[in-house]
Amino acid sequence: MKKLLALVLALSLALSLVAVAGAEAPTDLPRNETMYFGGQQWGPAVGYNPLSSNMNNSMALASAPRGSRTIMFETLYMYNMLDGKLYPLLADGDYVWNDDLTEMTIAIKPAAKWNDGTPVTAEDVAATWDAAVAVKNGTYTGYNAYIASVEAVDGKVVIKAQLTEDGKPTNPLQFYNFLSATYIAQKAWLDTLLARNNNDAAAVLNDPANDVAYSGPYGPYVMNDQLVAFVRNDAYWGQDASMWGKLPVPKYIAHAIYADNDAALVAFKAGQIDVNQQFVANIQNLWEVEGLPIATYMDEAPYGICATMPTAWFNMEVPALQVKEVRKAIAMAVDYDQIIENAMTNQSPSFVQVPRSVMNPTDGEQAMYDHDAVKDLQFAGKDIEGAKALLDAAGIVDTDGDGYRELNGEKIALNACCPNGWTDWQAAMEIVAAAGQNIGLDITTNYPEWSIYQTVFTKASQTEYDIFMYSPAGAEPAAPWSRVRSFMSSDFLGVDNNWSGNFGHYKNDRIDEIIKTIPLTSDEAELKALYTEATQIYLDEVPSFSLMYRPEQFHAVNETVWTGYPEKDDGNNIPPSDCTDGYGIAALYNVSLVGE
Amino acid sequence: MKNTLKNVFHSPRFLVGFIIFMVILLTVLIYPYFVTRDPLLSLGKGFLAPGTYLSVYDANNAPTYRMELPEAAINRLESAIPTEDRQVMLDFLKVKGADVSGVSTANDSLDDLLALWKANYDEADVKASKYQGFSTQAQRNKLRRLNTSILASEQASAMSLSKGEGDAVAVSDTDYIKVNEVANAVSLPLGTDNFGRDTLTELVKATGVSLIIGLIAGTVATLLGLVVGLLAGYVGGIVDDILMFIANLFTVIPGFVLLILIYYSVGQAARGITTCALVIGFTSWVWTARSVRSQVISLRNRDHVNLSKLSGHSLFRIVLTDILPYIASYVVMAFILQVSSGILAEAQLSLLGLGPKTTDVPTLGLMMNWAKLFGAYTSSNAWWAYFPVIGVIALISFSLNLMNTGLDQVFNPALRD
Repeated sequence: MKKLLALVLALSLALSLVAVAGAEAPTDLPRNETMYFGGQQWGPAVGYNPLSSNMNNSMALASAPRGSRTIMFETLYMYNMLDGKLYPLLADGDYVWNDDLTEMTIAIKPAAKWNDGTPVTAEDVAATWDAAVAVKNGTYTGYNAYIASVEAVDGKVVIKAQLTEDGKPTNPLQFYNFLSATYIAQKAWLDTLLARNNNDAAAVLNDPANDVAYSGPYGPYVMNDQLVAFVRNDAYWGQDASMWGKLPVPKYIAHAIYADNDAALVAFKAGQIDVNQQFVANIQNLWEVEGLPIATYMDEAPYGICATMPTAWFNMEVPALQVKEVRKAIAMAVDYDQIIENAMTNQSPSFVQVPRSVMNPTDGEQAMYDHDAVKDLQFAGKDIEGAKALLDAAGIVDTDGDGYRELNGEKIALNACCPNGWTDWQAAMEIVAAAGQNIGLDITTNYPEWSIYQTVFTKASQTEYDIFMYSPAGAEPAAPWSRVRSFMSSDFLGVDNNWSGNFGHYKNDRIDEIIKTIPLTSDEAELKALYTEATQIYLDEVPSFSLMYRPEQFHAVNETVWTGYPEKDDGNNIPPSDCTDGYGIAALYNVSLVGE
Repeated sequence: MKNTLKNVFHSPRFLVGFIIFMVILLTVLIYPYFVTRDPLLSLGKGFLAPGTYLSVYDANNAPTYRMELPEAAINRLESAIPTEDRQVMLDFLKVKGADVSGVSTANDSLDDLLALWKANYDEADVKASKYQGFSTQAQRNKLRRLNTSILASEQASAMSLSKGEGDAVAVSDTDYIKVNEVANAVSLPLGTDNFGRDTLTELVKATGVSLIIGLIAGTVATLLGLVVGLLAGYVGGIVDDILMFIANLFTVIPGFVLLILIYYSVGQAARGITTCALVIGFTSWVWTARSVRSQVISLRNRDHVNLSKLSGHSLFRIVLTDILPYIASYVVMAFILQVSSGILAEAQLSLLGLGPKTTDVPTLGLMMNWAKLFGAYTSSNAWWAYFPVIGVIALISFSLNLMNTGLDQVFNPALRD
């Protein structure tokens, strides 16, 4: 009897194990019809709700001005960071401004359809904005200050600006960010969604929206704790000649969920990931040493398009840092080449290759200021003697012979901070500290945990961190204006929980004027003059200094299965934004199987 | 005592463990006298493979000697364009449809191969034509790098180097220099880590630091465990209940989780090596306490203990003279194991990114942590940055465990030969 019982128990255990294993087996996707992505999705996804930002479904929902991911939901325009232009997606042709920049009119492509076959209309766009206002989601909080309403007039979308007291638009540039970031949802579906959640904002934002209507080329296929996958909608409207003229090549888009970066990297090396968004130290070893079929946008350093600039900010509340010469001396003494070599393993152009300014290294932005006019102000780093001379001339010298300079009789002692575990930033701060020691300023490093760090540097006033790191605005339609603003605007002074910029609380009236003028200026020569002046002020005053250039998104491809990815100078003008973001999705229409 | 020591050193296991441990310890003590460089000094850029690095500038100024190596020319060709690269060239030429009859990867055919390559390779053409086997970006990039290195090697052989001031002298292919006559030559037996630090120097320093951490942690854990165990076991009653309640609490909470939580909460600024060692010590005394207690319980009713009690000796004296000597051998063995687990605990903590400040001091765990963060075993292929560290950790705990089992063999009557 006992034996029988034991046998039954053992059998049931074995059976349940088999059942569990069977249930968890990843869905079999044909390899040569599937493009696998990596480095985007961490942890299981929740749903497909385009209004919400808590779906953790990054392949379907990644809304950003630098280029939203449009495989499932689509935006009106796609941003291309290579040329800084907006390309129409759901929109038909260019947007049209009225004369005083208070209204923008956009036509919708007649061919654009939802997956249920109904056309995408201006009413859908208006309903998307109205729903955002109703549930106060990220779209609402991001653009509420600039957009008064979105309406459907005669089949076209009319976006009206919030006006200042004197009747001017608050900021027309933010319209471009709205166009490239906002996913358009279907009016009929939005009505259902709001109705079934009784218009309760929290319930709407937590609705997984498994029945959502989408206009993009891919729809939901698999979503479990190991994989998210999307299948091509073969009736996708974009095969119309007015858009792409064909379907995207891969039938499936999939992203396996990995435990950590290392696991994903191993999968990438093994060819289980085709397109990878991960910082890989010394990535050139993957092909030069290991001979793997892996490539990046460029074959040589910096391998990608660097569009953002991790920056060290000076805290203007610290007396020593209120002295311009101290700020400039520190910035001049830092060995940026070592930061770029060690922290970024050369995946950034140096400050000799791309001299510092308020612009990122893309050609579009570099053309927007007068290089010769700021030449004398630019510094490439490791200028210890120059920095010392600057401090000496300002009368900041070591009077008591302890090896450190004093200001008003007090030793200049500063800390250099960044979050603990952010390795490349930590390595950079070590080098900043070393620079300080070299010129007689006692700079030491401090690495608080991110949970603490984020609460301190975003405060309206703090004296805990003297020199600290964060990134300004990257590449987006409103750049480089948005970067000038995030470097120096007094809009952010006195604002608690400030994530947007000017973390060191710098104030300059002339810069504020420039920041106000640029959005309302359309003459190119005038714009260039304004940006040049902004750069001059930034380099002369040094309220902060960038430590490196860095890609917004890392982009590396393994050509085991697919090839034909964007590469520099291929004439396609497709940015290396992981074949899915902004205009980068054009890559999905260009890839082909290896050997075909 | 002398006899015990003799017995101990007669145990082959103990002896082997002891020798390994002493070798490590002596290296840690003596090495800094030979290499005085700051172990945290960043020498160069990122990971550099092990080897001897000569300054090109100084090599140019070093005295030259004439030497005629018969295989010199072959070595040179092989180094400039390795055989596998020639195979790739040949494959490409075949695909492209060039006439490759009579051309091979052999050295005597290299000139023909190069001529054929130059006549046929054109970057734009490769990109446009999508030749079979060379259609992907990675494959085309490989060809382009190959072409670049071919052009570079030709330039190098035609180049004349400037020697000394002003006068340009063609360097002959029979000129040699002596390594130790170059003014600046750096020997890096274990290469450099991600910060460009000399891994060997750092490793030796880190081993010393980790040994100190292990020693402090082991001492704290053993002392704490000993005191708690002795008191609980000998006094018994309510004292035993209370102490064992605390010990049980520590037993049911996984030690490592506790360690992580405490360590995380002290913050990085306070994480020196002493704090690290103390925290490890305070979380690992439980098992020592429990075993000491059970041994003491078995001892406390022995005749000689009762006799001491009757004689009116103090608790302190009874514990110290009548009980401690009987469990001393066990305590020594427990101490050795505690040292070993202390070193391992530090390595684990630092590997998780909870170690002491990187710029203050190197530890074995920190070295592994940075190696991991900079992809030493995934993308950077820098085995030298982590493998020796693992080796040292393994050797230390291996030697300590050997010593422990050796002692066990000597002291445990059940195991005694």
